[in-house]
Amino acid sequence: MSRYALFLGCTTPVHVVQYEVAARWVCERLGIDLVDSTDFICCGFSQIDLDGEGALQLAAVNLAQASRMGLDILSLCPTCTGVLADAAQKLEDETVREAVNDRLRALDLAYEGGVRVRHFSHVLYEEIEGAGRALELARDLSGIRIAPHYGCHTLRPEAILDGPDDPDAPFTLHRLIALTGAEPVDYETLTLCCGGKAFPVAKDISFALVRKKLQNLTEREVDALVVQCPTCYLMYGTMQDEVNKKYGTQYRIGTLLYPQLLGLALGADPETDLALDLNETSLDRLLSRLD
Amino acid sequence: MSSNKKQKPPPKREPETGDGPGQAQEEGAEASLTIDDLDPDFPREVMSHEEARGLNHCYACASCTAGCPVHEVFPEFDPRKLALMVKLGLRTAVLSSPHLWACTACHSCEEHCPQNVQLYHILNVLKNMAAREGHTPYPWIIQTRNLARTGVIYRTDESLREKRRARSLPELACEGEKARAVIEASDLGRRVERRRRR
Repeated sequence: MSRYALFLGCTTPVHVVQYEVAARWVCERLGIDLVDSTDFICCGFSQIDLDGEGALQLAAVNLAQASRMGLDILSLCPTCTGVLADAAQKLEDETVREAVNDRLRALDLAYEGGVRVRHFSHVLYEEIEGAGRALELARDLSGIRIAPHYGCHTLRPEAILDGPDDPDAPFTLHRLIALTGAEPVDYETLTLCCGGKAFPVAKDISFALVRKKLQNLTEREVDALVVQCPTCYLMYGTMQDEVNKKYGTQYRIGTLLYPQLLGLALGADPETDLALDLNETSLDRLLSRLD
Repeated sequence: MSSNKKQKPPPKREPETGDGPGQAQEEGAEASLTIDDLDPDFPREVMSHEEARGLNHCYACASCTAGCPVHEVFPEFDPRKLALMVKLGLRTAVLSSPHLWACTACHSCEEHCPQNVQLYHILNVLKNMAAREGHTPYPWIIQTRNLARTGVIYRTDESLREKRRARSLPELACEGEKARAVIEASDLGRRVERRRRR
């Protein structure tokens, strides 16, 4: 049984609670032990624009906390994963680490290195596909067309992440979808950015990007879109109505988080176990196909 | 692309050749530039940061711009142009540009650069400098303030706590003690404060 410190980040536990609910259910079912800590704070991504050094300090607080727990980090958010992994790599340098630790000591923390940071989906891929483990599927999802959306930070920067994907031709989420029995669908804008980071200052840019993907998915007649990042979820799931209002469009792309799809296949209760009732887009097209 | 519409009689130049430094000048400083607009120390200042050192290797091939999702929907955002503006020393135009903050951090510019210029990181260096000079956009200030209060970039309230309880999720710590200590000990506090006073 694998065991990880669960890093929730900012967006999931506040705005995409269903991701957390479903991830916890799936991990319990698959025997991935998640250990919570109330000492984790923002990974530092939000502050990188303002002060790179301060952001590194925030990341180090989290790495030091995981190190104190004696565990590697499993992060639900790809952005946090990349930021923490990048910080962990920087902090392998003793000079950098000492400078950071000088300040951390005031918080009664110190980081000695060695913490590995993994994204949830990559752990799942390794534990199921990598281990050649057969899943006991309780529902039949065959013939259901699911579009994967990887999210930039599950793919880049390639040198920092220890996932198996090629950023220009990723495959892990396709495989994870196929494991549920559903059919992963390829499409032209597969790796297009959701624009989430620009949203607070340049909503129009983010919406233009979201629209491109929704248009493409509508043409491809998919039954649902599966994401693995809370920010991407907000852009495609939560904002879809607003995008339709802005452009006078009628996109209806049911959007869900990967563990929600996996949970459905494994027989979870859609509401209690996966919080699918919290998803803003209609998932009827997907759910009506299940027994 | 459609970038040289301002050039009056296009002297039989193809559009691709028109959007070099000349266009950076046009947009950086409304009309035309004078020598006073150029700060020769600016490129050196930027490149004094380790992650920005590679800027010298940029030969303006525009692979960054070609792969930039923001550029695709908003052509005014142009990573190559920003790189050229830095090299020209257009300090004020670069640091006060709202375009700096429109980057979605997708890292595609870096992945596609044949010269390994870390453009995303250079943009962060520029934003750090802009923040030091008081150009931080308001939403970023709010995030820093929330972080100091709650440990996450959002406000957390009783309705969230109730929602989490209803789904049998553990309580969030919702206290920013450690985050606040980091913010106060770093330059972040000052950068937020300065923006507040402006």
